[in-house]
Amino acid sequence: MPLTVAIIGNPNTGKSTLFNALTGLQARVGNFPGVTVEKKIGRIKGTAEPIDLVDLPGTYSLSPRSLDEMVSVNVLLGRQTDVGKVDAVVCILDASNLERNFYLACQVLDLGLPTVIVLNMFDVATTRGAKIDISALSRKLGVQVVATSAHRKEGLDALKSAIAAAVPNGPGPRPHPFPEAFYAECHQLASKLAELGRSDAPSFLVERALLDVGGYLETEWLAGSDVAERWKTALIEARARLKEAGCRVPAVEAKARYAWAKQTLADVATAPAARAETLSDRVDRVLTHRFAGLLIFAVLMVVVFQAIFSWAQPLMDLCGAGQSAVSGFVASLISPGTLRSLLTDGVVAGVGGVLVFLPQIGMLFLFIALLEDCGYLARAAFLMDKVMSKFGLNGKSFVPLMTSHACAIPGIMATRVIEDRNARLATILVAPLMSCSARLPVYTLFISLFVSDAPLLGLRGARQGLTLFAMYALGIIAAALVAAVLRKTIFHGETPPFVMELPAYKWPSPWIVASRVWDRMMAFVTRAGTLIFAAAIVVWAGSFFPGDHSQEFEKQRFVEQTDVAQADPLKHRAMLEEALAKLNGRIAAQASANELERAEWQQKLAITEGGLAELNAALKPLDDARAEVNHLRASLVEQSFLGHLGHLIEPVVKPLGWDWKIGVGTLLSFPARELVVTNLGIIYGLGQDVDESNQQLWSAIREAKWPDGRPVYGVPVALSIMVFFSLCAQCAATLMTIRRETNSWRWPIVTFSYMTLLAYFAALVTYQVAIRL
Amino acid sequence: MENIVPLELMAAGEVGLVVQVNGSPDVVHRLAEMGLREQVRIMMVQPGRPCIVAVGDHRLSLRMDDEAEILVALTVTP
Repeated sequence: MPLTVAIIGNPNTGKSTLFNALTGLQARVGNFPGVTVEKKIGRIKGTAEPIDLVDLPGTYSLSPRSLDEMVSVNVLLGRQTDVGKVDAVVCILDASNLERNFYLACQVLDLGLPTVIVLNMFDVATTRGAKIDISALSRKLGVQVVATSAHRKEGLDALKSAIAAAVPNGPGPRPHPFPEAFYAECHQLASKLAELGRSDAPSFLVERALLDVGGYLETEWLAGSDVAERWKTALIEARARLKEAGCRVPAVEAKARYAWAKQTLADVATAPAARAETLSDRVDRVLTHRFAGLLIFAVLMVVVFQAIFSWAQPLMDLCGAGQSAVSGFVASLISPGTLRSLLTDGVVAGVGGVLVFLPQIGMLFLFIALLEDCGYLARAAFLMDKVMSKFGLNGKSFVPLMTSHACAIPGIMATRVIEDRNARLATILVAPLMSCSARLPVYTLFISLFVSDAPLLGLRGARQGLTLFAMYALGIIAAALVAAVLRKTIFHGETPPFVMELPAYKWPSPWIVASRVWDRMMAFVTRAGTLIFAAAIVVWAGSFFPGDHSQEFEKQRFVEQTDVAQADPLKHRAMLEEALAKLNGRIAAQASANELERAEWQQKLAITEGGLAELNAALKPLDDARAEVNHLRASLVEQSFLGHLGHLIEPVVKPLGWDWKIGVGTLLSFPARELVVTNLGIIYGLGQDVDESNQQLWSAIREAKWPDGRPVYGVPVALSIMVFFSLCAQCAATLMTIRRETNSWRWPIVTFSYMTLLAYFAALVTYQVAIRL
Repeated sequence: MENIVPLELMAAGEVGLVVQVNGSPDVVHRLAEMGLREQVRIMMVQPGRPCIVAVGDHRLSLRMDDEAEILVALTVTP
């Protein structure tokens, strides 16, 4: 059995660097069950006995105010079953700021575990004039103290042997910082707890329950049981008695622990003189300036988004090509039939459709990790707090919402930094309104079809660009309004105070950045992959059954066999078609050419057209069969479960200007928005490998008619579809992520309901207004 | 004579000693954990809402809510 050692420390003390240096980047990353806290465990390299290191989130204290913060405490107390008993704890401190860091160290020592205190960034502290007598400090604390400079890999061996020695050495003495009256109350509360049926509570938890007013241990610990009220009353009474005795809770904790810190550090450590103005401060004078700072921030964001879209594109194309190759490979192995349809139309199309976004996700997280590790992200949150606080959110909501423009899944995962529960839930609920990359195919298709590219103010394509911008703006405006409404109603509460540390700027560490990007990409693949896989199969089955596909498969087999047999004529036809298009282009471009040239071209044209007509006649059975396959597919979809559903919902979508096909295409895109492009292709009787640039889908959509002959599509319908997709919650992966992150089905249901209603009514208003203009 | 002002009224570069932190117990507790507590010297780096305050080596950005208030005794600079 390996030893289990937990590592804890304040944010920005170099904990990640130390963890990576000790474990050599071979950590298993996952989640603690039921909460959003990341579980990172790695084996320490080069020790005689195997030792597993558990990374706990950076924190200023061990006061569990939420379920998430309770996890760290549970791990340390050995109450987290999936980690098991913790044999020792490593508490990492910033050697330049011992007094403040000792607050957490004092709490850690109170746990009564074998402890190693690490004074990290020791080189920086000594350069700045700090004087620390390590052995004297170690004697005073009764535990081992080790000085390290993790970024230079200094002191790691001493730390490893200290960790190995910590368990046999046993725990050090507890600090005992509080007045006796406090401990007397704790003793009473412990017996009260035993009376209420909790005789196993560690003294650390009893102390925390008394200290943390409104904390997790007060509100949730015994929640659900009939003794919850009696427990709360006992705590309130105990605090009242302590107040009488001049020991106010929770103020007593800061007073007692900082007094202990001062007393412990006296004679053994001299802090370096506080720097009056650091380089970081000078940089901040520009980067957090109310005008210059915002301007730089805006430029930076434009660059980041541009980079995400344009740099990720070649990689995405590669992924798309890989997907087609896999599809083709499967098709070459299995003849047309249910199994092949399941594999290519269901699994490869569904799962591949999501994996295509992996380069964008990786690129986005690369930027976020770089900006975070160098310290800029905290400044961005600072700048955005001014705007966010007007809508009841705070600066910490900014990063999740920015991230959501690429994909709401990592965006929702990023809300973990928001402590205030109501502000966090409000952020989670509005994050999917941001126009994510999956909306782009939908926007691109309908804008290129229905928005004119005629010049506006002399700029060609300006109308199309503006429409696209309007779609993004619509999401942001809707999110701001919804957040404001949520914060006034179900998440009622004051705009939470905003307290955040601005770490000193530093050069980003390539290892930390790389490991963060890698972890995020893997999490995305596994999470989205499993769900999309299941959803794709369900949607495929819904649109495949109960029709009889034998005729379709037979025709398909004929098409594929003929494709092989007639490969040469087909190739020839493609060449002729290309030549014809070129010729026509040349004739159109050079109307002023002389008589002789024109006659020559006409002659060439006639020959090409003749050849083509001959080939077309020869290939007619093949073309007919292909058309029939498409027709069969479309009618089978109409008769499928989802087709029936489509007709059922037609009255609902008609006021939006939609026919049943758009309705069911939208419905079928429940797993992921971009599926609507593929779905419309299937439903309009085309082959299944249709993407938004496919000419056939364009013309089929333009020519689609209602039964009475009016065209289905026009600008109003296109706008109504785009508005709907901008606001709707058609993304099962996002909803599953919300479930995971909130640990409840309630919030994904709420998100789906409000977004669908919002999307529906916004699309309704858009259509009804647009047809009257 | 001591000149005690709320944090919001400190000008950039002014230094003072925190004499009182008021507000909900939770907020006060959190601030203390981050080092912002009574009897600590602070310097206003950038006033505003939110503002940036230097507490020792650390830079904290802060926006208090209506009930929270930090009172600071300004150090008179000669």
